[in-house]
Amino acid sequence: MRRCFVVCLVVLLVMASGSAFARGAREADDTVTIQIGLAPREVGQTFPALLDEFRAANPNIRVNWLEVPGVPGEQKNLYVTNLIGGSDEPDIMALDIIWPGEFIANGWTIPLNDYFTDAELAEFNPALIDAATTLDGEVHAIPFYQNAVHFFYRRDLLEKYNLSVPTTWSELEEAARVVVEGENNPDLVGYTSMWAQIEGLFMNYLQFLWGAGGNMVDARGRVAVDTAEGRKALNQMVGMLDRGTAPESILTYRPNDAMALFRQGRSVFMVVQGFVWPIITEPDSPVADVVEMGSIPVFDGQNPETTRRHAIGAWMFAINPNSRNVDAAVELIRFLTREENQVRLGVETGNLPPRLGMENNPALIDAVPIAAQQFRNFALGDVRPSVHTGENYTEFSDIMQRHIHSALTGNMSVNQALRSAQAEADALLGK
Amino acid sequence: MEAILLVMPALAAVMLVLLLPTLNSLRMSLTNFSLSRPGPFDFVGLQNYRAALRIGEFQRSIRNTFVFTAVGVMFQVSLGLVLALLLNRALKLRGLLRATILFPWALPTALNAIVWRWMYNADLGVFNFLLLQSGLVQQRINWLGASNLAMGSMIFVAVWKTSSFMALIILTGLQTIPDDLYEAAIIDGASPWQRFRRITFPFVAPAIVLSMLLRSMDAFRAFELPFTLTEGGPAGTTQTISLYGYRQLFQFLNFDRGSAVAVLQFLMLLVLGIVYIVILRKREKAL
Repeated sequence: MRRCFVVCLVVLLVMASGSAFARGAREADDTVTIQIGLAPREVGQTFPALLDEFRAANPNIRVNWLEVPGVPGEQKNLYVTNLIGGSDEPDIMALDIIWPGEFIANGWTIPLNDYFTDAELAEFNPALIDAATTLDGEVHAIPFYQNAVHFFYRRDLLEKYNLSVPTTWSELEEAARVVVEGENNPDLVGYTSMWAQIEGLFMNYLQFLWGAGGNMVDARGRVAVDTAEGRKALNQMVGMLDRGTAPESILTYRPNDAMALFRQGRSVFMVVQGFVWPIITEPDSPVADVVEMGSIPVFDGQNPETTRRHAIGAWMFAINPNSRNVDAAVELIRFLTREENQVRLGVETGNLPPRLGMENNPALIDAVPIAAQQFRNFALGDVRPSVHTGENYTEFSDIMQRHIHSALTGNMSVNQALRSAQAEADALLGK
Repeated sequence: MEAILLVMPALAAVMLVLLLPTLNSLRMSLTNFSLSRPGPFDFVGLQNYRAALRIGEFQRSIRNTFVFTAVGVMFQVSLGLVLALLLNRALKLRGLLRATILFPWALPTALNAIVWRWMYNADLGVFNFLLLQSGLVQQRINWLGASNLAMGSMIFVAVWKTSSFMALIILTGLQTIPDDLYEAAIIDGASPWQRFRRITFPFVAPAIVLSMLLRSMDAFRAFELPFTLTEGGPAGTTQTISLYGYRQLFQFLNFDRGSAVAVLQFLMLLVLGIVYIVILRKREKAL
C-alpha cells in the first residue's frame, strides 16, 4: 500500500517537472520554445501551414500553438488567469481589438516600438494601430487580420421596385416599407441585425451614432454618452421597431440568427459582420446571386461620404511580459504579419489583411471578389472606445448594452436610458 | 485514531478545493481587489456589500432569482407529483416510461437551452410556426424578446427539464407505502381523494419537501439556463444572481464586488436551507 503511494507520488512529481526538464534541456543547445495563443476557428489550415514554414526557416525556435477556445470571452479568461499567475505561457497572445486598453493598463503586454519601425507600423490600418497605442505613443499589438460590421441588401428586390441603394436611414425605412408592402409576404421583414443584449448591439449603436455625426469620445477625451447625437441614434433604433421596419424578434438576435433569416430570403436589409458572406452566398443559398454588400447608411442631412463609419474589429498579436524569449516571439509575429502571409490568409480563409493599399491586390480581389467592398468599409472604419475606457471597457460596454436594450424593449425612454448610462459610465470611469 | 488517518486524504482534498477558495472569496469580498483598478488593494470592510445592495441591477437579479425559484419549483413539484402518481401505477412498460421521462433531466442544460432558443425564435422557431399555421395567433410572439414573456419562457424550460427529477424523488416516497393501508381504507369506504389526503400525501410529504429543497437550491443558483437561453436579456429581465456574479467576476474582473455577490448568494441559500430543514424536522416530530 505504502509502496503504491510512493510510486504514485514519484510519477506525479516527474510529470509536474517534466516540462521544466524538457525546457532546460532544449535551452542547453541554443533552442528556444515559444507558445502562441490563437483560436483555430477562423484561421483554417493556413495558420498551421504558416507555422510549419516558420519552423522550417527557424530551426532554433520551437513553436507550440495553444489552441484557445473560439469564444472571445473564454479566451480572455484563459489569458487573464495565466497573466495573474505570472505565467510565461503563452508568449504571444492574440487579442481582440477591444482588449489592448485593458491589457496595457494592467501591464500584461510589452511595447513593440523597439522591434517595429514607424514605417512598418504605418503599413497597417491606422484605426487598428490606434486601438493598441497608449497616450504616450507606445504600440502594444500588431494586427493579424481585420473584420467589420457590414451592410447587406437584396439587389433583386430593390430593382423590382425601382429603388436605389439607400444611403440614409429614412431612405432605408422607405425602401423596406415599399418592398414589404409590395411583396405582401407575411414572412418578409425589412431589416434585421444583432440587437440582442450583446457586444454586437453596441457596435450597431455606434454605427448609428457615427452616422448622426456623433462620437462616443468628446474633444477633451471624455466619454460622452448623453448627447444630442446619442439621442438621435437611439431614437432611430427605437423608431425602426415602432414603425415595423425591424421586427420585435431582432431584440433576441445574434449574428447567426440574423444570417439564418436573411439566408432564407426573409429580410431586405441586414447589418452584421462580414463572416456571414461565404455562408449566405453558398451555392444552395436561395439569395446567393441576389445579395450585395454595401456601406452603412447615415442620417438625413449628413454627407454619407464624410460621415459614415463602420465598426471594425481585428485580432492582434501582443507579447506576454513574462515571456523569456521575446526576440523569438517578435520574429514569429513579424513573420505572421508580413504582407504576403496576410494576403495568403485572406485568399485562403477570407480573413482580410489589416493593411492599407490592399483593395488593389490582384490575388486577393481575384480570390475574394467581395474584398473590394470590404476594404472600402474598412477604410471608413472606426473602433470602439476601448482605449479611452481602458481596463473598464468590458463593463462600460455592458452599461451601454443594458441601457440601449432597455430603451429598445420600452423599459426606459430614450432620454432616461442615456442619462442613466451616462451616470453609470461617469461612476465607473471616475469622472 | 486510525479512522482519522484514513479520512485525512479526503479531508485534505476537500479543504484544498472547497474550503480554501471559499475563505479566499470571503477575504476578497472585504477588499477592493479588482483588475479593472490596477494597483495594491486594501481591506474595506463591508463596503462592497453595501455598494452591491444599492445597485438596481443587482436588486433586480435578486428579484428575478426569487421569481424563477418560487414559480418554477411550484410548477415542478406539482407536475412531478402527478408524474410520480402515474408512474407508480402498474402500467405496461413502466420501466421504459420511467427511463423516458428522465431524458430532459439527463441531458446537459446548455444543450437543452440552445435547442429551446431555436424553438422560441420568433421568426424561425417551431412554436410560432405551429401557432401561425393553426391560426391560433395572427402575430408572431416574441417569446424571449418581450420583457413580460421572457421570464415565463425561461421558467417553462426549467419546468420541462426538472419535473421528472422531482417525480423520481417523489416516486421513491410513494414506493414506501404498504399496499395493505390502501386495502384497509377501501374496506372502510374511503374515497380516492380521502385515500390520497390521508395515506399518500403524509407518506410522500418528506420526499416532496426534500425534492423542493434540492430543486430550490439548484434554481437559486441558476446559471447555464439564463446564460445560454437569454444571456439575462431582454434588458436584464432574466438575469439571475449567478449570472450577475459571473459578469462581475469573470467579465469585468471586479473580484471584490463579485465575491461579495457570491457570499450574499451563499447566505441567502443558507437561510433557504434552514427554512426547509426546520419544516422537515417539524414533520418528523409530528409523526
